[in-house]
Amino acid sequence: MHPDHYRHTELPPSTEYELYFGPNHPGIEGNYALKARLAGDTVVALEADGGYLHRGFEKLMEQRLWIQNIALVPRICVPDPVPMEETYARAVETLGGLEVPERAQWLRMLVLEMSRLTAHLFYFGGHAATVGLYTNMFWGVSDRDRLLDCFEQLTGARVYHMYITPGGVRRDTPPGFLDSLSEVLDYVEGRLPKFDDLFFDNAVLVRRATGTGTMDQAFAIDYGVTGPNLRATGLAHDLRRDYPYLKYAEVEFDVITETAGDAYARTLVRRGEVIESLRILRQVIDKLRSVPGPIRCPLPNPLAWRIPAGDAYTRTESSKGELAYYIVSDGSAKPWRVHVRGPSQMHAVQTLEALCVGARIEDVAQIMFSLDACPPEVDR
Amino acid sequence: MSKSLPTPLEGVFRRVPGVRWRQQAERHLRVELSEAENLPALLALLKGEAGYRHLSAISCVDWPDADEFELVYHLDSYTTQVLISAHIRLPAAPGRYVSVSGLYRPAGFFERDIHEMFGVQFEGALDLRPFILTEWGGPPPMRKSFDTEGYVRDHYQWVDYGPEWLAELEKRGGGIVE
Amino acid sequence: MPDYPIYRDPPEQCRTPDAEERSLWGRTLERIADHCRARSLFVLHYCTGCGAIELPPSMTSRFDLERVGMQPMVTPRQADLLLITGYLSVKTLKRVILTYEQMQGPKYVMGFGSCTINGGMYWNSYATVKRLDQYLPVDMYIAGCMPRPEAIQQAFLQLMEKIDSGRAQNWKEYYRRYDHYLGEQQALFGEQFHTPTDVIGEARHYSLFGPETLGEHTAKLAKYDLYHPGQGAVDALEVKR
Ligand code: SF4
Repeated sequence: MHPDHYRHTELPPSTEYELYFGPNHPGIEGNYALKARLAGDTVVALEADGGYLHRGFEKLMEQRLWIQNIALVPRICVPDPVPMEETYARAVETLGGLEVPERAQWLRMLVLEMSRLTAHLFYFGGHAATVGLYTNMFWGVSDRDRLLDCFEQLTGARVYHMYITPGGVRRDTPPGFLDSLSEVLDYVEGRLPKFDDLFFDNAVLVRRATGTGTMDQAFAIDYGVTGPNLRATGLAHDLRRDYPYLKYAEVEFDVITETAGDAYARTLVRRGEVIESLRILRQVIDKLRSVPGPIRCPLPNPLAWRIPAGDAYTRTESSKGELAYYIVSDGSAKPWRVHVRGPSQMHAVQTLEALCVGARIEDVAQIMFSLDACPPEVDR
Repeated sequence: MSKSLPTPLEGVFRRVPGVRWRQQAERHLRVELSEAENLPALLALLKGEAGYRHLSAISCVDWPDADEFELVYHLDSYTTQVLISAHIRLPAAPGRYVSVSGLYRPAGFFERDIHEMFGVQFEGALDLRPFILTEWGGPPPMRKSFDTEGYVRDHYQWVDYGPEWLAELEKRGGGIVE
Repeated sequence: MPDYPIYRDPPEQCRTPDAEERSLWGRTLERIADHCRARSLFVLHYCTGCGAIELPPSMTSRFDLERVGMQPMVTPRQADLLLITGYLSVKTLKRVILTYEQMQGPKYVMGFGSCTINGGMYWNSYATVKRLDQYLPVDMYIAGCMPRPEAIQQAFLQLMEKIDSGRAQNWKEYYRRYDHYLGEQQALFGEQFHTPTDVIGEARHYSLFGPETLGEHTAKLAKYDLYHPGQGAVDALEVKR
């Protein structure tokens, strides 16, 4: 029986249809949308649709003082906010000719690597959830919470720390912090074999992620892919090693690579990076026990702080790839222009669109998560 | 000026007219082109001969006093490992330039973004449909002439927050010191 | 308190509540229903802003909201609670309104963080809306930027108490004052803004038809009425009454 306003229409037979995927969809990372053309359950074409998280950061930063922007920058990428602060602060320091004290540099490396760990743990959870391994999601999130507790101890905040300020960091380590952090690091390391059992060696993941969203090295370079996604195609490029900033030249770590370039390889690269991050963190903790000194350089009155005219382009290796800020100053109390280049801008739009073609619909979420695309970074 | 310019770069810079370069930071060259139309040739040479296969970003800066847009192409090479920022200036009036997305795929995203935020037109771009501002009816928001506070006042409401302590602080000349 | 009158008594134009609703029995039933509703809240899985990053910790092992009967739900049709986790860009607000209208009553809205209350740190951003309650009726706000999981839990417990005691009735306002809300939405999205949901019909169905359900703004909807072509939503309702 039809309702009385029902009108029957004849449409030409079609094998293709359009599917809206997101923004309100659990398989989407954040608030983002994809429009897929499907034939059966195979993706024929995919179109990304962003802007749901657009706040006009670049415009807002032009309206605020140099010091006020510290509060704004971490909000650009929610899962991994610290590299944002570091990149901004380093750009301001380059322009203003500020010298960061040694201890502050080590402290910055500490929070940067902790942030990478949280982001990767979150990623394990997210990627696992897209292949149906929910236990892992619970593990990833709760292990990440231990690190957030350390962050809270150090900076007073869980997610947005606003810890790195131009010229140094906001405060020194509280008593006993380095010990409790070491404990957490040991704990995370001890968890990795369990993650192996449940996740990395899990047949579900291995079968579903192998050969999914594969890109070769030439493709990755063409599409501007950076970070772990690029390293998963076999190119050992890491800004921490190739353009060392802070004290990265003084610590030992390996650049993890894989060659397959598929979703599984990307996950393995991140697993390796967790181990490397732990390694770096231990060295940093050792240094922090011995390096004394101030934690910030003297700053002028922050409300009347002018930065000399000029421009700077600074880059940081975030957990997702190459993060860069282009900042132009005209010598006034506010930036003239700030351009944020987030790694996800490359990953979540053109790369995702290209990688999903030919994939099955149930793998689209997995491909998106395996690229670790961060929508707020795309939208700014 | 730095003394040591990697060899492939020397040759490239000499072959493009109007190139001025200087060392901006360690392993970061700032290149300025006096003629905007030479940029695609420079990029092609950089990509073809000096291994600059990675376009890190294209930034746009609005200079309303000079009536110009500045476009900055940040390039990186996985072999030479020297970052290059190539600056060009465009007159704001037509606000047109050519797309380099044929050369560098990532340019597609940045050009779309700049078109949206600044209203610069790129000829031959991959896709210039709105991406972020699909529901936007106003002028390109990143231009200096766009007043976001005024726009907010006209379109949204918020409750003013003026507690007594703040008023007192302001009376005493607190807040921003110029 | 909102600065507009809240209709506690059914206005005259509205169908007078029948004896059943006024009876002790009817109220008892409602009371029992509220008691149960408060104990199984399904939260719509929609991350609108940065506050969403504190939801996974609250939902999973550490803070574990399932203890109090809350669970993420993927479809708006089966969700009771819409979390607006932070700032709303204009583009998202449109989707949020669509989503909200698809949810079935009784439904509750919770605003996370200072952004939903008064614009927060994006007070001068051209892209985000400043006050959520202009566009949707909100039951509870959580202050903070961003609110901690403990604050989120506290807010959920308070919301449950509010529902349990029958005070979380703001969703009815959306039907009773639909014209007002639609007017605000139209001011932002343009005159032609409309959603596929037949809110006016639902208002009638829930007997929540107030004097401000229809008005100058809803009159503009007439041309989009799919269900009564040519007649217009407003006319159709007038005729039936
Ligand atoms: S209140 Fe703070 S944390 Fe929440 S959405 Fe706004 S800026 Fe983000």
